[in-house]
Amino acid sequence: MTDAAIIWFTVRMAALATALLIPPALALALLLARGTWRGKSVIETLVALPLVMPPVATGLILLKLVPHSVVFTWRAVVIAMMVMSSPFIVRAARVAFENVNPRYEQIARTLGAHEPRVFFTITLPLALRGIAGGVVLGFARALGEFGATILVAGNIPGRTTTLAVAIYDRVQLGRDSAAWPLVIAGVVVAFVAILLSEKSTRRRT
Amino acid sequence: MTLVIENLVVPLAHFDLEVTATMSARVTAIFGPSGAGKTSLLDAIAGLRALKSGRITFDDVVLSDLPARARRIGYVPQETALFPHLSVASNIRYGGQHNEAHVIDVLEIGHLLDRGVTSLSGGEQKRVALARALVSAPRLLLLDEPLSGLDWPLRDRVMQFLQRVRDDFNVPMLYVTHDEGELAAIADEVVALDSGRQTADSRWKPS
Amino acid sequence: MRNLLLILLLALPVSAAEVRVSAAASLTDAVTEIARLYEGKTGETIVLNFGASSILATQIVNGAPADVFVSADEAQLNRVATVVRIPLLSNRLVVIGVPLLKARRIAIANPEAVPAGVYAKQWLQQRGLWTVLAPKIVPTENVRGALAAVEAGNADAAIVYATDARMARRARVAEVINDGPPIVYPAAVLRDAENAAGGRRFLDFLRSRDAGAIFRRYGFLTK
Repeated sequence: MTDAAIIWFTVRMAALATALLIPPALALALLLARGTWRGKSVIETLVALPLVMPPVATGLILLKLVPHSVVFTWRAVVIAMMVMSSPFIVRAARVAFENVNPRYEQIARTLGAHEPRVFFTITLPLALRGIAGGVVLGFARALGEFGATILVAGNIPGRTTTLAVAIYDRVQLGRDSAAWPLVIAGVVVAFVAILLSEKSTRRRT
Repeated sequence: MTLVIENLVVPLAHFDLEVTATMSARVTAIFGPSGAGKTSLLDAIAGLRALKSGRITFDDVVLSDLPARARRIGYVPQETALFPHLSVASNIRYGGQHNEAHVIDVLEIGHLLDRGVTSLSGGEQKRVALARALVSAPRLLLLDEPLSGLDWPLRDRVMQFLQRVRDDFNVPMLYVTHDEGELAAIADEVVALDSGRQTADSRWKPS
Repeated sequence: MRNLLLILLLALPVSAAEVRVSAAASLTDAVTEIARLYEGKTGETIVLNFGASSILATQIVNGAPADVFVSADEAQLNRVATVVRIPLLSNRLVVIGVPLLKARRIAIANPEAVPAGVYAKQWLQQRGLWTVLAPKIVPTENVRGALAAVEAGNADAAIVYATDARMARRARVAEVINDGPPIVYPAAVLRDAENAAGGRRFLDFLRSRDAGAIFRRYGFLTK
């Protein structure tokens, strides 16, 4: 697989993982932001786990949980990326939702809006800036994901070899000079992603 | 058009708000010092606060059985709370477009429609918030210290607009204030509140 | 008609079966070349998965799909269930940099988990040098890390494979180890292979003369 193909594959997988993650992550963040309910602290801990556990440990757990037909395929890459990125999006979104002045939502209700409308026209737009920041971090994390991916998706050139795995691979084989183009590409892609997000959040003000 | 509050109890931080009252005037003022529970009473009537017990009825509609979105109550909160991410026009139209042209006319905000809400002056914001509430065709209008935060000359001007609304639209108003001057300017009847309770001589008409 | 289509769709994956091969990372170049050669000759598809032997074994133990496993030592292969098992390759240990007894810091791959490190420790113990040199030993995550340590000047000696030493740019071989423990890269067809027949065919090819020539070109010793 060419360098360009590896980079493009990794970007596609990270983008897919991030996109798939957003709806459930926002739903979870909203639940966590609103009031207290039974089992809340358990869920909060579960959400934070991928941040705190060694990625290889998370990979081992995924290896046990992911169905046989998915292991060693690009779907496993996406799953590993989703799991490792989720804390970034959920936590940033939760803070963003908590920071929306509840008065706005209340007034919207008095004006006749039912909950979905309140969420999509008031809560979400006002939380968007914080959410966008979390999404970018999540995407960058997915791009660089290594420890969990390598266990559950393997290192299958042409099928599951991601940017981070390829870099590690080449360094391991003593081919440092071959690793550098990928390293630089990784930095550039992450740089561009963060730049785009900064611009978009700035436009909102 | 009568609002009936029966044995309302709302638990607050330091005391329980307990109110029983019947209000059928055009403008009923809820008068008392800050911290008396006035805002909480408005929140309860609007359905934004849960009741521990009691019933709120408007004519033959039991409001306390309905969620906030179904009560058709217009609310102008003390913080104004215009949606910062929407234009003036979008704010006004959020709850509907009933009588929109007339409301905009009476409140003289036609020239502000395309503006962002953060660029408005204090008085302009109050008028837009008022328009937003009116355009949703409410059966009842709640105003929480509508003149607060305005400088003196503006207070008179906005009061004029409030009087226009009282006269032009057939919507009863509940008007919260701690200022006696405002009572004289607009209220037909007064309910006085202190520490969550109506005070001994709580019902009176301003002289 | 619809049923026929369904049967065809279900049958397709079987007829286009791939051979899944998990191979130690150190064999990446050699096995990749051999696999391409095999694909050209037979028209079969080889799906390669490279990594540290310990990680590959963990994957297999946890049900990840694989037909053939080529490991960097017996210990990792012992963790999985096999039906056919052969010693495929060997390698030699060398000391690079300064002679061991003169070195202040000696890098070896982690002697607890990495085959190269395990062999290095075994040899040092055999020679009675382990306890003497232990305070100077710096374990690295993998054997290339040991090489890199000497290249970067962080260690002045290392014990690596002869195949790794070929990559060295600056460090020179101080000693070729001929009395070291037997180094074996075993290969096996796995018991839980989905394509055992294809796995056996590929395993046979790994033992062939053509494959042997490729392995030797990369510095490995063939059995």
